[in-house]
Amino acid sequence: MLETLAQAVINGLLIGGIYALVSIGVTLIFGVVKIVNFAQGEFVMIGMYISFYLATQFNIDPLASLLISMPVLFVIGVLIQHVLIRRVLGQNDMPQIFLTFALSLLLLNLALMLFTANYRTVHTWYSDESIHIGGLYIPVAKLIAFVLAMVLSGALWIFLRRTDLGKAMRAAAQNRDVAMLMGINPDRVFCVALGIALALAGAAGSLLMPFYPAYPMVGQVFVLMAFVAVVLGSLGNVIGALIASLMMGIAESLGIQFVGADSGLIVIFLMLLLTLAFRPNGLGGGRART
Amino acid sequence: MRTQANLIRLLAPRLLGLALVASVLIALPLVVKSSFALDIFIRILLFSFIGVAWNLMGGYAKQLSLGHAAYFGLGAYSSTILQVDFGISPWIGMIIGGIVAMLASLPIGALCFRLRGPYFTIATIATAQVLMLIFLKFRDLAWGAEGTTIPNLGNAPLMMQFDAKAAYYYIVLGLLAIGLAITYRIEHSWMGYYLVAIGEDEDAAEAIGVNAPRMKRDIYMISAFLTALAGTFYTQYIYFIDPATAFNFNISIEAALVSIVGGIGTLWGPVIGTILLETTSALLQSWLGSSFGGVQLTVYSLILMAVILWRPTGLIGLIGEASRRLSRRKPVSA
Repeated sequence: MLETLAQAVINGLLIGGIYALVSIGVTLIFGVVKIVNFAQGEFVMIGMYISFYLATQFNIDPLASLLISMPVLFVIGVLIQHVLIRRVLGQNDMPQIFLTFALSLLLLNLALMLFTANYRTVHTWYSDESIHIGGLYIPVAKLIAFVLAMVLSGALWIFLRRTDLGKAMRAAAQNRDVAMLMGINPDRVFCVALGIALALAGAAGSLLMPFYPAYPMVGQVFVLMAFVAVVLGSLGNVIGALIASLMMGIAESLGIQFVGADSGLIVIFLMLLLTLAFRPNGLGGGRART
Repeated sequence: MRTQANLIRLLAPRLLGLALVASVLIALPLVVKSSFALDIFIRILLFSFIGVAWNLMGGYAKQLSLGHAAYFGLGAYSSTILQVDFGISPWIGMIIGGIVAMLASLPIGALCFRLRGPYFTIATIATAQVLMLIFLKFRDLAWGAEGTTIPNLGNAPLMMQFDAKAAYYYIVLGLLAIGLAITYRIEHSWMGYYLVAIGEDEDAAEAIGVNAPRMKRDIYMISAFLTALAGTFYTQYIYFIDPATAFNFNISIEAALVSIVGGIGTLWGPVIGTILLETTSALLQSWLGSSFGGVQLTVYSLILMAVILWRPTGLIGLIGEASRRLSRRKPVSA
């Protein structure tokens, strides 16, 4: 019993690392640019397909393709901010919500047309390996993904704390007008925020590829998880989103273990609704709801 | 007396136009016999109606729901359960379904209205999905994932079943007329002004004494009721129900899309949006046939993006501008 519990917690924690990458992206965009990116999950999907094609066409390991998927998605992020999102900032809710929603619909259905709905998998030498500790199994692919996810999150945290650009982003998140008065160029900061957020989503996609199938709708699960985690971790808070994502991963895994394998989605949605009902300001309290 | 005469002169062309449109729409099935074409007209009227229902809340009060499939599904399931298990006519089931949806909107609204902006939208998506999952999982409730077919009774008008497609056309035309009439009444009432005020700036509206929570609750109930009627109609029309069709996310999407593309918060916006989107979709389908898969939503999302970026007031603004330009030119040419 205790072993099953520990195993479920480990599985959840490991996948929670991937959720964290997606959530941090959502919360970064929300904090800095003040929009909710409904398309974040589709960028995970794009990251997965990039890794899938690099693996099948050029025999590049999905973990190595991180070095390609992240810069590609960074550039896509900058372009999306510059060409699309910039034009609806400062308007009311409708354009802001439905622009990224339309983007999500567009990418999902383009993927459906280009790649069909089939599941694509990449099999690496470490895909089926696992480490045994006591009675517990730790799958190597998930462990690598988790560790790299934590490294990337840590790197982002250091970037936000230590570099001028990172500080400028935090300043813009706290108070855009004052930040502008201090000489911070909001357009540039917003572009970088989108770029980093999408690069993280791309990284999540590449890290998933050794143990998770790619298909056009794959992003939906991750973006829903991210929305819950972002609310739980209070909006715009990177560390909050990270911790909440790990908790969500564990909660989902426990749900699957003790309620049933097909309960995954219902658990996510119930968590979302319960969070929104009882903790709309996040577990920490703090910021006003938006 | 003079003002009354002026009023009549002002309204006469509008009423005349409306009467003309109405008579064309009523005469249409007498002329068009093709079942394929009637099917498209029925789809256009149906989604116009769903759009009109969405627009009451999403358009006027700017509560941007992406979960209206919840009420569509509740309406569809209520009337179907009553019909299949208890033999109650869908005409009655339709009203009961509307009431069920209205009651369901109370707790759902209580939950979702705690949130604003994008998080309201996300919460509404979640509620519709949870309802779908409930109908999928609890097989005792209603046939689970397989769904059920509606027993075909041949021509049974009292059970909302007809041999002629035209009958369905008239039903959904009637629904749309009711939806538009309700919208018109609300638009020209205090409630309409309150809703627009809430849509513009909820805090400011509350500051000048608008009871925003009550207004939002009431309009959500009306919107849910109307959406549920569409659910019953659709199930009767296709003779089949399962959770995936009744609570399909695409219904929520299309309800919002037609309104935004046509003109959010306007009487005719959803109708104009539906005509454009459904015609496009029908053309695509006839060109591409079975490889139609993701194409429809790809095109929809491109249209939506274009509208948001270049004309956030929707196509109706375009028509308004054109007619204003024409009427301005008239004295010069005359």
